[in-house]
Amino acid sequence: MILEALEREGVEFIFGYPGGANLPIYQHLPEHPKLKHILVRHEQGAAHMADGYARACGKPGVVFATSGPGALNLVTGLATAYMDSVPMIAITGQVASTQVGRDAFQETDVIGATSSVTKHSYLVTNIDQLPRVIHEAFHIASTGRPGPVLIDICKDVQQATAERVDIERLEIPGYVLNGHVDLDRAGEAARAVAGAERPVILAGHGVILSHAEAELREFAEKAGAPVGTTLLGVGAFPVNHPLSLHMTGFMGTGWNLKAVQNADVLMMVGMRVDDRVTARLADFAPKVKTFIHIDIDGSEMGKNVRPHIELVADAKNALEAMTPQIGELHEGRGQWFSQIDAWREEHPLKYTHSNGHLQPQDVLIDMYRRCRSEAIVVADVGQNQIWAALWWNYDRPGLFLNSGGSGTMGFALPAAIGAKFGRPDTAVWCVAGEGGFVMTAQELSVAVEHQLDIKIVLLNNFSLGMVRQFQDDFYGGVRSESELTHMPDFVKLADAYGMPAVRVDRFEEIGPAMDAAERTKGPFLIDFRIDPEANVYPIVPLGKSLNDFWEAPDK
Amino acid sequence: MSEHDRIRVLSVLVEDGSNTLSKVSGLIRRRGFNVHSISVGPSGDPGRSRMTLTVHAGHAEADQVRKQLERLVEVVEVEDVTGEQVHSRELVIAKVAPDQVDGLVKRGAKVLDTGSGGTTVEFAGEGKDVGDFINELVQHGAVNVARSGPVVMRRTA
Ligand SMILES: Cc1ncc(C[n+]2csc(CCOP(=O)(O)OP(=O)(O)O)c2C)c(N)n1
Ligand SMILES: [Mg+2]
Repeated sequence: MILEALEREGVEFIFGYPGGANLPIYQHLPEHPKLKHILVRHEQGAAHMADGYARACGKPGVVFATSGPGALNLVTGLATAYMDSVPMIAITGQVASTQVGRDAFQETDVIGATSSVTKHSYLVTNIDQLPRVIHEAFHIASTGRPGPVLIDICKDVQQATAERVDIERLEIPGYVLNGHVDLDRAGEAARAVAGAERPVILAGHGVILSHAEAELREFAEKAGAPVGTTLLGVGAFPVNHPLSLHMTGFMGTGWNLKAVQNADVLMMVGMRVDDRVTARLADFAPKVKTFIHIDIDGSEMGKNVRPHIELVADAKNALEAMTPQIGELHEGRGQWFSQIDAWREEHPLKYTHSNGHLQPQDVLIDMYRRCRSEAIVVADVGQNQIWAALWWNYDRPGLFLNSGGSGTMGFALPAAIGAKFGRPDTAVWCVAGEGGFVMTAQELSVAVEHQLDIKIVLLNNFSLGMVRQFQDDFYGGVRSESELTHMPDFVKLADAYGMPAVRVDRFEEIGPAMDAAERTKGPFLIDFRIDPEANVYPIVPLGKSLNDFWEAPDK
Repeated sequence: MSEHDRIRVLSVLVEDGSNTLSKVSGLIRRRGFNVHSISVGPSGDPGRSRMTLTVHAGHAEADQVRKQLERLVEVVEVEDVTGEQVHSRELVIAKVAPDQVDGLVKRGAKVLDTGSGGTTVEFAGEGKDVGDFINELVQHGAVNVARSGPVVMRRTA
């Protein structure tokens, strides 16, 4: 019943792990060859794979786990997807309905444990609920502002049989899709941007989720407004475009932060305006006279920054409504562009190339030269993530995937595996720090088992680099528990899993190692042993305003 | 904005379900809001209940409480009735000493039962009247007081 329903929803892959409370489902799995089950090595890996799959191909990722520990192992992955609005369906086995509440073996209140990290959840205690619940779950996960939905199914329900029912119409009164669209002030917003002396647009993940990149570009070009993106919005606007301000936020580029801090009109589209974007909130964009906020989720309005004009709508619809209503451009626009150009020259992205150590930027620049816009980069969390965001010129959405909202270390490898299942014809590169990598490294098995053509770029700095940098810069230089000694030999580790790998210590070795990776069909790992002192710049010190960003020291 | 303006009275129509109350209360806790009172009972619609919540918005914008509640799939409708033209009623039930009963009945209380342990009375009214009523009870040493949160309804236009 469950598996048939999944087939009807068009599911291709299930990332899962069996156990006592979902064995009835697994018993029938072989009867459904259309559903390809990927056996993971840890349930967290399953959730991140489903997440990477969904981010790469847009369809909800599906996860199976058993009750108790199995379901609890999903929690981090659900939270990661929830924070970044990624559609996912998690189907967990629960003890029999007659056992619920008796502290039965492997019973956990999974609904309770996951309520705060799911868009919605269901406990199914009766077979009659099942067809409606599954159909509803897919609908809720993938519409509006997407997110993970969990279905906890009691074991006796999994074993029950019932007549097949086709659910034609859904009635979910509490879920009004696009129920609160408010585009009344679209014209006013468009004219405010066009008529501003110093406008700035910031674009977030919502632009990518609504496929509004073309509309954003058209609006920005017609309204003559420069565009920066959030970390999750990377790719929503081409970095090489003359109007690009590259990435914003507390690790954004200097010219972006200067522009935001001096803007008189700031339009924020498809983003949550969280603390990583604003830095010290009281000093965020202090010269702005008109904040415009566009988001599909009305609760984002005023959650962090109170907008003067709010448009509650899908980014694409909002931009389409705005563009025809752009009025006269402010005549001072030329000056604003020259000012931004001056900041771009004054505060470029920079790093020290030749200090005897391998620099992460050199690795990424080589990678970019090879891949351009033809590869998906899945980054982990930490310095590696920010380097990968800043040192590639992403010109399309969907090329850079990372855990932005939750910052979940261990995301990259399983998410890259999921992305490859979702987009088998696209090259997938996984960029990770060695700390995060070992948190989910067991999933190397999955890459080898399915001979997935993914390339793993380890930026190995022998430390929890981002933590080490924070300690050096903001916590009195006390390197407390941030140095990683006793890590595995990553080449041998890959070998143990049956994956070819090489180690790179010097600049000259980058090219040949990348060549080898590209030549190899199937997974390949490169352990780049980089400068252990390399840092991420620019960076805004914790608790400071965006104005106070530090730049890479000139050496 | 005064502290008082940060308190919202919301009338919330929800789907009945074992998880609904914990979803609503979990959300309120998670967002840093603070419940002053809550009352729940069946609504006119079968399968749905009406909750009346008095909530302090914490450090968030006051309207966030409504917006966040609306995001829950279990929540069908949220009406912000703060400061609106509404009828608002609370109920108090108390055990009082026999010599108090007459005075309380004059104020509008109703006697529910009498026995050797004292008399049980009930009183319903606006929050302020119920508050005054309870103050008087406490001054006279009432032992047992149970008070509901408000239930509200918009006045007929
Ligand atoms: C699961 C988890 N634990 C802790 C953190 C806090 N944290 C953020 S970055 C970081 C260091 C990551 O080290 P590594 O993976 O080696 O990447 P690097 O910064 O060195 O590139 C840590 C510990 C986190 N984001 N996620
Ligand atoms: Mg590291």
